[in-house]
Amino acid sequence: MNSLNMLGDFFLSPVGINHYLGLSAILFCIGMVGVLRRRNVLVILMSIELMLNAVNLSFVTFSHFTQNINGQIMVFFVMTIAAAEAGVGLAIAVTIFKRFKEVNIEFFEQLKG
Amino acid sequence: MDVSILLFYGLATIIVFFALAVVISDNPIYSALYLAITMVTLAFVYFLLKAFFIAGVQLIVYAGAVMVLFVMVMMMFDLKKEKNSFSKGKFANFIKVGSAGWLCGLIFASIMLSKGMLPLANTNTPQAVADTSTKELAILLYTDYIFAFELLGLLLLLIAVGAVAVSRIKGGTHE
Repeated sequence: MNSLNMLGDFFLSPVGINHYLGLSAILFCIGMVGVLRRRNVLVILMSIELMLNAVNLSFVTFSHFTQNINGQIMVFFVMTIAAAEAGVGLAIAVTIFKRFKEVNIEFFEQLKG
Repeated sequence: MDVSILLFYGLATIIVFFALAVVISDNPIYSALYLAITMVTLAFVYFLLKAFFIAGVQLIVYAGAVMVLFVMVMMMFDLKKEKNSFSKGKFANFIKVGSAGWLCGLIFASIMLSKGMLPLANTNTPQAVADTSTKELAILLYTDYIFAFELLGLLLLLIAVGAVAVSRIKGGTHE
């Protein structure tokens, strides 16, 4: 009953820090399911981008609700590193495709040097 | 019912729906499209949070550059509708989805239980908006975080060289 009251509070109260953090948590877990379940390297990379976006959302949320702008600097860094990670990941995916004509994750164990 | 509540729940519904579509869709090209929609909607959420510069960067870097990178690489592949796009094994999949749901529940519970622990600032005053403006962000980035910023430039240079080097590998294997 207590938890039901908490849920009711959550959906009826004005939008605050909890709502944004909840959205961030849901987005992160969706990305996690994608990384764990998909076999295509491209979709796995996209799911990683989803997870990074969820973390960015929680950074911006805390930055807004505590009026501390350092959180937004962290978002800036995370975005740059996410772009770099996508670049390298896609280069490896191209290498895999050249050899096996498919981008399934199971071929990654065959890579060498 | 406040307008901001409706706006937030509308944006949140779009984000969650299209994020699920990224993970569920069989065709990677549709996944990329849904991911772009998710990123653009997230930029609107950043606008709601008054992080205007971050919202702009989100639109340009994520919805622009990163998605173009994904789609360009996809054009080089011969992607049809995949048959084995999901991993096999009912029990393993149950564990995977269950652990993700468990993590989600844990985070939700911790958010609920830590209510009021963090001292929150008043976010509605004009002074509060000015304190988190793009100008303040730029000043902080080029004073306190200048070494991290320079290192980030170095990282991007390394990645540019490294990506070219990796994609020139002929494709040797253990076999």
